[in-house]
Amino acid sequence: MSSNNAVSLYLDPQIRDWVLFPITLVMILVGILRHYVMVLLQTPPKSLPRAALREQRALTRSQVLRATSANSPIPPTYYKSISRHLSEAFDAGTYLKDGPPKEGDTPKMPPNPMTDPAAMDGMMSGMKTQMVMMVPQMVIMGWINFFFQGFVLIKLPFPLTLGFKSMLQRGIETTDMDVRWVSSLSWYFLNFFGLNGLYRLILGGDNSADSSRDMTASPFGAQAQAPGQAQDYSKLFKAEKDNLEFSEGIYSWVGEGVEDRILRRYGKI
Amino acid sequence: MSLSHSALEKLATFRVNNTRASQETFQNASTVLKSFKRLGDDGWAVLEQLFLASVDVGRLDVADECLRQLGKQFPHSPRVDVLTGIRMEATESPDVVLEYYAQLLDADSANAAIWKRKISVLRRTGKIEKAVEELLQLLDTFYTDVEGWLELADIYTSCNQYIPALQALSHVLLLAAQNPFYQLQFAETAYTAGDIPLALKAFLVAVEMSERDLSDKSPPVGISVRAWLGVKLCSRRLLLNSSPSASNTPVPKNLHLIEELATERVLGVYSSKNSASRAPEGRDVVVGWVGDR
Repeated sequence: MSSNNAVSLYLDPQIRDWVLFPITLVMILVGILRHYVMVLLQTPPKSLPRAALREQRALTRSQVLRATSANSPIPPTYYKSISRHLSEAFDAGTYLKDGPPKEGDTPKMPPNPMTDPAAMDGMMSGMKTQMVMMVPQMVIMGWINFFFQGFVLIKLPFPLTLGFKSMLQRGIETTDMDVRWVSSLSWYFLNFFGLNGLYRLILGGDNSADSSRDMTASPFGAQAQAPGQAQDYSKLFKAEKDNLEFSEGIYSWVGEGVEDRILRRYGKI
Repeated sequence: MSLSHSALEKLATFRVNNTRASQETFQNASTVLKSFKRLGDDGWAVLEQLFLASVDVGRLDVADECLRQLGKQFPHSPRVDVLTGIRMEATESPDVVLEYYAQLLDADSANAAIWKRKISVLRRTGKIEKAVEELLQLLDTFYTDVEGWLELADIYTSCNQYIPALQALSHVLLLAAQNPFYQLQFAETAYTAGDIPLALKAFLVAVEMSERDLSDKSPPVGISVRAWLGVKLCSRRLLLNSSPSASNTPVPKNLHLIEELATERVLGVYSSKNSASRAPEGRDVVVGWVGDR
């Protein structure tokens, strides 16, 4: 038989009423449910103790100094004293959370996520989000596979290659039905990727029902970040010390030559 | 009776600009106690404003009622804790208040608002050294707090320690580089400290900053007047006797020209051509002072 492009199947309207709409409705409701479960599960961000906060914000001091260094509002003596003080502090590590490293200390190991409680919390919350995302997906896929198997549901408006047949027409073993006729599982996948826009409309921009988030985040990503942050600071401080030296080179006070500028402006020179 | 629209707008402006017009706020907002639910989310902000105004004005009964409503709506809120602390400061002894703050800081050592209230209580009760120590620690952690640096400079100035005050002000300048008022404060502190060349330069910088948008040579307005008066003061003193600069700031070369220009600008403000009929106040005094020598 030739390809069936001209022939179109006529589907029972009950399929539309009892499969198409229910699958979409269930997915929307489950998505909203996921979002609210995430909101309830999220613990409020723990406030850092003083020392940790100080360490985190220490870099802003030198950044503020360097931001205006080419047209600095403060006179040279003051600039140099602040710059020198910060350089020494970064070198000695006075801003580090646990204080400056004492003599004879072994260099700090990056904290193991298993032992460092702060990193552990981060990983746990990451894993919690994963579970909340994955479990409903598995359940719905199982439900669809069990109940809505063995018939075509919709005709895709766009053509596809034959390679997709095995995936999209699972359960219907025909050889020459057009690939555009697909089963309910593929309708599930279409909904899965397509409902993000609807969620953004109902739940606002930052919702946890968004499936595009799950694709990018992964449990291994969370692990890689946490140990990276803690050891960063001593290296960051050393790098910042170099930046301070550069800025001292380009430093110039606004007050330098201000009298000439003003005199010229009023025509006195 | 609910608040009129204009009263609400005025209160909102006060909130945005952090104005402390307590009597006016109290008068405008005292009716809000009965009808704040109708104002929605804004109602709580107005209630907080009313609380602060009534503590300031002395109506502690109104303040108590506001606090009760806020506490009922927002239990365990750090912001309400600060308000409770303020209410305690109004009647309790400083030791009780300090203990309350110590308790809160134990629970959350990085609560900047409570920390600042503790410092203000310490300063108010005369424990200046402790206040300075705590303030330095606070500023070490929260570097970008301009208000804190200004308070530190104020404390130092009140103790006549002008060099540390200048150091604190230099941090303020770094954090708010575009603000001519802080530059003026720096200049005036430098003058009081005796560092006249630095003060002259700083006054000139303040002039430059505030007259940046002035296109024609119209007389100075607002902050420029004060800055020009400062320039005149410094240049005259430097012409009479050169004073050493603690910050090694060089004396500008064209001092005579600067003094002339400053005289012109200051007289321009007090010139009778500008005002409608009468000469501005203090004109004779200024002319006499300026023209002298």
